Amino acid sequence: MLIINCPYCGPRDQSEFSNGGEAHVKRPDGSKEIGDREWGEYVFIRANPKGLFYERWVHTHGCRKWFNCVRDTSTDKILVTYKLDEKKPNLNNFKSVVKTPSGEPEVGSGNFTVEK
Amino acid sequence: MKSINLKENQFIQFHQKISFKFDGVKYFGYKGDTIASALLRNNINLVGRSFKYHRPRGIYTCGIEEPNALVQIISEYSEPNTRATIKKIYEGMEIESQNRWPSLENDFGSINNLFSPIFSAGFYYKTFMGPHKKFWKNLYEPLIRRAAGLGKPPKDFKGISNHIHHNVDVTIIGGGLNGLLAAKSFINSNYDVLLIEFEEQLGGIINNSNKISLIDNKEPKDWLKETIQEIEESKNVKILKNTLVTTYNYINHLIAIEDRFVGSKPIEGKVNSTLHKIRTDHTILCNGHIERFLSFQNNDLPGIMLSSSFEKYICRYGIAPSKEPVIFSNNSNSNSLVYSLIKAGLKPKAYIDSRSGEKIEPNLFDLIRKNDVPLYTNSQIKGAFGSKKIEKILIEDSSGALNEIKCDQLCLSGGINPDVHLFTQSKGLLDWDEKDLTYKPSKPFQPTITLGSASGQFNFDHLNSDINDKLKNFKIKKLDVKLELNTNAKYNIEKLWEVSPQKKSLWTKSFIDLQNDVTTKDIRQAITEGFDRIEHLKRYTTNSMGTDQGKISSINALGIVSDLLDKKVNEVGTTIYRPPYAPLSFSAIAGRNCYEFYDPERKSPIHNWHLNNGAIFEDVGQWKRPWYFQINKDETMHEAVQRESKNVRENAGILDGSTLGKIEIKGEDALEFMNLIYTNSFTKMKQGSARYALMLGEDGMVKDDGIICKISDQHFIATTTTGGAATVLGCMEEYAQTEWPNLKVFMNSITEQYATFNISGPKTREIMKKAFPDINFSNEEFPFMTFQFHEFNGVPIRILRASFTGELGYEIYIPSNSALKIWEGIQSFGKEFGLAPYGTEAMHLLRAEKGYIIVGQDTDGSITPIDLGLSWMIGKSKKDFLGKRSLTRSDTVREDRKQLVGIVPSNKEDKLEEGQHIILEKEIKSPVPMLGHITSCYHSSTLGHDFALAVIKNGHSMIGTKAYASTSSMSTTGVDIVKPVFYDEDNKRLVS
Ligand SMILES: [Zn+2]
Repeated sequence: MLIINCPYCGPRDQSEFSNGGEAHVKRPDGSKEIGDREWGEYVFIRANPKGLFYERWVHTHGCRKWFNCVRDTSTDKILVTYKLDEKKPNLNNFKSVVKTPSGEPEVGSGNFTVEK
Repeated sequence: MKSINLKENQFIQFHQKISFKFDGVKYFGYKGDTIASALLRNNINLVGRSFKYHRPRGIYTCGIEEPNALVQIISEYSEPNTRATIKKIYEGMEIESQNRWPSLENDFGSINNLFSPIFSAGFYYKTFMGPHKKFWKNLYEPLIRRAAGLGKPPKDFKGISNHIHHNVDVTIIGGGLNGLLAAKSFINSNYDVLLIEFEEQLGGIINNSNKISLIDNKEPKDWLKETIQEIEESKNVKILKNTLVTTYNYINHLIAIEDRFVGSKPIEGKVNSTLHKIRTDHTILCNGHIERFLSFQNNDLPGIMLSSSFEKYICRYGIAPSKEPVIFSNNSNSNSLVYSLIKAGLKPKAYIDSRSGEKIEPNLFDLIRKNDVPLYTNSQIKGAFGSKKIEKILIEDSSGALNEIKCDQLCLSGGINPDVHLFTQSKGLLDWDEKDLTYKPSKPFQPTITLGSASGQFNFDHLNSDINDKLKNFKIKKLDVKLELNTNAKYNIEKLWEVSPQKKSLWTKSFIDLQNDVTTKDIRQAITEGFDRIEHLKRYTTNSMGTDQGKISSINALGIVSDLLDKKVNEVGTTIYRPPYAPLSFSAIAGRNCYEFYDPERKSPIHNWHLNNGAIFEDVGQWKRPWYFQINKDETMHEAVQRESKNVRENAGILDGSTLGKIEIKGEDALEFMNLIYTNSFTKMKQGSARYALMLGEDGMVKDDGIICKISDQHFIATTTTGGAATVLGCMEEYAQTEWPNLKVFMNSITEQYATFNISGPKTREIMKKAFPDINFSNEEFPFMTFQFHEFNGVPIRILRASFTGELGYEIYIPSNSALKIWEGIQSFGKEFGLAPYGTEAMHLLRAEKGYIIVGQDTDGSITPIDLGLSWMIGKSKKDFLGKRSLTRSDTVREDRKQLVGIVPSNKEDKLEEGQHIILEKEIKSPVPMLGHITSCYHSSTLGHDFALAVIKNGHSMIGTKAYASTSSMSTTGVDIVKPVFYDEDNKRLVS
């Protein structure tokens, strides 16, 4: 469970929010010709990194505003939230505190509780 | 076994007697007693039968780690598996022992012990395989389930639990010495601190043992009182007592359960427990340690107890469960028990230590010599013997000679472990300490600090420096506490996990998990059979899988496994300690979200009218909708639906459609926005007209449908399906904010502000004229798919001419609070024309006759408008709308897509069934290639036979051909594939 800092309302419980997947995915301009691949990637393809990730959330049971954030998917820590019209922060400004929790391999996950 | 009451203390009052019943017999205890201490006072140690072998079991510990003494509290709605060692007694409490029949003393199930050689590890998988797989379900499983297990399920009880949220800077878990010292140093700092203690009293080791003699030159009791007062008076430290932290989640989110009825009977309807949900910046774990046991033959006999637990009974409850216990240890943690016994005027019958003489503290030697306690160093207990309780033990001394000692109590210490459950839940890493032979917290994963024995500091040498160092970043007061100890013991453990028995037989048992009846033999067997990874071994043997999660024994199992595999314990690893730390009830987790609050019920503004008029309700999402109306008690659903639908076709019917989603869209750019959201084009649409519209996902699939009313280019009202209202509004808001923020448009749900009545049938116009005499309902003045605003008796209403039944129809939108009056008015005006209410089932039947789809029933998220034959609804001239580009994807233009068709049985007498497959072969021979399936199916009294809608491969081109529908009796019915419209194909009735 997270505390999410809604840019409009302030820190609130995760149960008030809904996740909207990867942020900064641009919808192709419908007035122009769109290739199969370009459209297919927009509709179906999303990144799923372990580590820092631009993500969309909506304050469903609050102000109902959409906003963006940077979340470390390996720790679940939300590092910054920002409004849709704000520039996306440079990921180099953040350190992924622990690259993989509990010394898990970088790809996949494990159940290690003991230091190797 | 004879127990002895010692001196009264601040926790237990001998003048306050409490009576309670155990297995029907009345006993007395004192205020402050747990069930366990009260039973021990009455010399009862046999309290239960074991899980698998039904062996007699007693009280093994004095706390939450208890594996054996689980009881059923009859006086509390028969709550099972309650730990007798923590549950306090109260006047009139009724307790029963568990897992025995007919009685605890004479338990029929103990015959399992005789058969125990076949109940070894994995016996479920091996033993009950034949002769037929039905035997498992019908014979073996019911038998095993009855014989094995813990308590019986509780009775129904309206237990209420509150949820409380905390947001603090620092949470200290455990109010023992270290927790108190940490809390004390936070007093008057800028931090909001929460101190959580599981027990009723703060103090931990100060209350539970005689280890400490002086703190800051004061009696520990007095120091404790002062310190607690200081904390209680502070403004920034809050104490929660009787509260157990069960869960340590990501981002320092803790869950703790508070018992609101400690030492008294819970009251039905009152708050029994509080679930605390704590957000904290820092967590300080001061939750101490847990003593572990040792494995030897019959180490499960009643009368065997952990040594620190015995000392806790002396210090905390003023009772010695035995006057002369034998002590068996491999470390110095049990030294203070010897001291406590002697201080209480008792003494051990013998002290047995597996260590050699030089490893034992000199002052323990002095104490033992001075009091003539028989001492065995370099010695081990080979086994304990007795029926239903311990009677004698067998000792192998340093010379290898065997000595038998009669005794009624044995106190064990196999070492101590930091209580790492919460630390590992937080994803912190452990490291094996080869000197102290235990896993200790090493790298925290979150802002977690461990102090005292919870961090693996088993001595008090570095008390001040440890706390000061670990809390230095907080920049708070430094501690300088002077501690004097009664036994100057350093924790000095020597490896011992298991003592092998003197004589081995098939029935010899050394337990490694008391609650799940796992023996060291099971561990060996599992390894022999190849289950040598610790997680596999755990599941195969069920070791540490009980409700106690092997708190006193799981490390011992690791030790044994590492010896057997000749590996370091660190290489063996450890299984994961999972939340909750101790069981907590579902009602605590549910909190107030239960009974009528479990899921809100949404009701139409005229719900009570339906109740009074024979409505049978159907759940549609959270809504209660009239399914059909029963005119008398004998009318079946089929009869009612046929009557209602026939009446709509012949006279007129009225449906409460208030649950339909309604969204108002306004703004300068509303027209452009609507053109982007829906497939249809609204540009050329006249003001005051309405249009049936489709909404797609970006993948091109139908997501919702509804009727759009255009009031002006800047103002629309959309209806949605009952279930799709929230999703459609959410989707509109998302696109308005994220993709087209330049469009000036706003949207709002008005679902609950307006009631909607759908009135339809050939006599509708007559009824409407009567009900609303000022409105002209002629075809010219009020054509199909137009709407008008009117005022009726001072109420603003909107009437839309539309129909979902295929008959002439109107939808009336009325502010909710005026709805009932108008509904009742229409009923009375309609009476002479045969108007009757109809429910959702008749509505479904009527719309299916017209081939109108229901999104979510005839579509399933893989159907495009083209598949539905609704290409005419796509605004092809529009540059863009949701999902437009997907309609020309290679997948959506595929030829063999499933498409909507109508199905009628070739023989009109035959029945069709919803969900059945459409196939090409009359004979079902697997594999049967399926064309698709029936999505909606009804019997129509208008048509006089069954009919259905179906989605089948290449359906549009198959219209006019024959196929078969499968049936639930594994046969087939011949069907004709037809156009998906069965009634009034040219819409004459609709527009008349
Ligand atoms: Zn908000």
